[in-house]
Amino acid sequence: MVRAALAQKRNIGQGPVSGARFVPAFSVLIASLLTALPIISTSGWYPDFGFLVLIGWRLLRSDAWPAWWAAPLGLFNDLVTGHPVGFSIAVWTAAMLLLDLADRRTMWRGYWLEWIFAALMLLANEAAEWRVAQIMGASLPFKSVVPPLLISILSFPIVAWLVSRLDRWRLGR
Amino acid sequence: MAPPGGPRPGWSRRAQYGLFFSFLLAVAGLVIGLVLLALSLVAPKSYASVRGAALDATAPVTGGLRAVTATIGGVFTGAGNYWDAAHQNAQLKRERELMLQRIIEAKAISQENRELKASLQLREHSRSPVASGRIVGSSFSSPRRYAIFSAGSSDGVRVGMPVRSAQGLIGRVIDSGALASRVLLISDRASIIPAKILRGGQPVISQGRGDGTVDLRPLEVGRNPFKRGDIVITSGTGGLYPPLVPIARVVRLDDDGAIARPLADPSSISFALVEQPYEPAAIAEEAGSAADTQ
Repeated sequence: MVRAALAQKRNIGQGPVSGARFVPAFSVLIASLLTALPIISTSGWYPDFGFLVLIGWRLLRSDAWPAWWAAPLGLFNDLVTGHPVGFSIAVWTAAMLLLDLADRRTMWRGYWLEWIFAALMLLANEAAEWRVAQIMGASLPFKSVVPPLLISILSFPIVAWLVSRLDRWRLGR
Repeated sequence: MAPPGGPRPGWSRRAQYGLFFSFLLAVAGLVIGLVLLALSLVAPKSYASVRGAALDATAPVTGGLRAVTATIGGVFTGAGNYWDAAHQNAQLKRERELMLQRIIEAKAISQENRELKASLQLREHSRSPVASGRIVGSSFSSPRRYAIFSAGSSDGVRVGMPVRSAQGLIGRVIDSGALASRVLLISDRASIIPAKILRGGQPVISQGRGDGTVDLRPLEVGRNPFKRGDIVITSGTGGLYPPLVPIARVVRLDDDGAIARPLADPSSISFALVEQPYEPAAIAEEAGSAADTQ
């Protein structure tokens, strides 16, 4: 905040865009809808875009949305991506609560720590997906989650950058 | 140092309670999510209508954009075909000569086959397709391999029906909306298909590996019966998939089986057909077992 006020180029008289409160949640919905793109993936190594954007926002700000909004956002993600209904609701809400806990336990936050948190969240998401697939009769060796996990960890910085640009746009900075 | 006593938004009681109730709601959301997940694992049929409606909502977007990506992909492969065209031409001419001979042989065999069947008075199953459509999308980011198919229950598509294209088997329907349906691809781990090797007719089992290939295992333990380049076709056992549909071509052998690549690549086929289950009695049975595995 202070640094933004001291910056050379100040947008005086330019406030947040209308509906700025709903921009973060809306961007998560859009990211979930990326699965409607007509790309046919035979390997399934694409990252889980909705979850990436969700933790991107949550790591950037703790007040992007009330924590419980993760549940309806997760329901939407389940319906459009074809996960079993309830999977994203549970994982996304648990991620919100875990990151709340992480906010309380950490004194300093830097870029590397945020990336490690994101990587842990993505690992938990992939592992849960793998376990649920196993229960549903598709038991694969655990090493099959490694390539998609690496891809999503490496794409997190891009998503985090996009989210921070979006945040500056919505607040009119 | 001990952590601070929680995220206090200031001295405002209203803000503090707001934060607390949001936390309670999030815990409630987590519990609801776990219950819904348990329900969808135990009884997957319970959300069939909601999932079908979601499929219908996104399918027009996917179908419309699919034409664009297919055109772009076609431009690149089309340009690639001009490269080395003379060599390709000669090769195609050679293959055509061979094919003509084979066609005549096949015609003779099929006529003989018809006569033999007539003499045995075998009942022929009618194999008219239920619906035809296109594969327009797929699951992006899960270990499961699903595809979105552009025909739904308004075209007569029902859960459990097999889907195939001219090149080979694609999978079977597991969710159907009114306009679109979701297909479990043969490369998914949960799709297990009774098959046989085209060369010797030895029975094998094909199971997906989740990464676009399938695992082949012989039913009888012993010497590895596969060779590189072997084609595997459905055997018709179990009554769901029609017999003699090509499934995959062996690309690599491992210790007791082989890894094969499906002949029908869902990302490049133009049209696919939904057929009736081969044995009508398999419909009810398959609906039950699809509910178990899904």
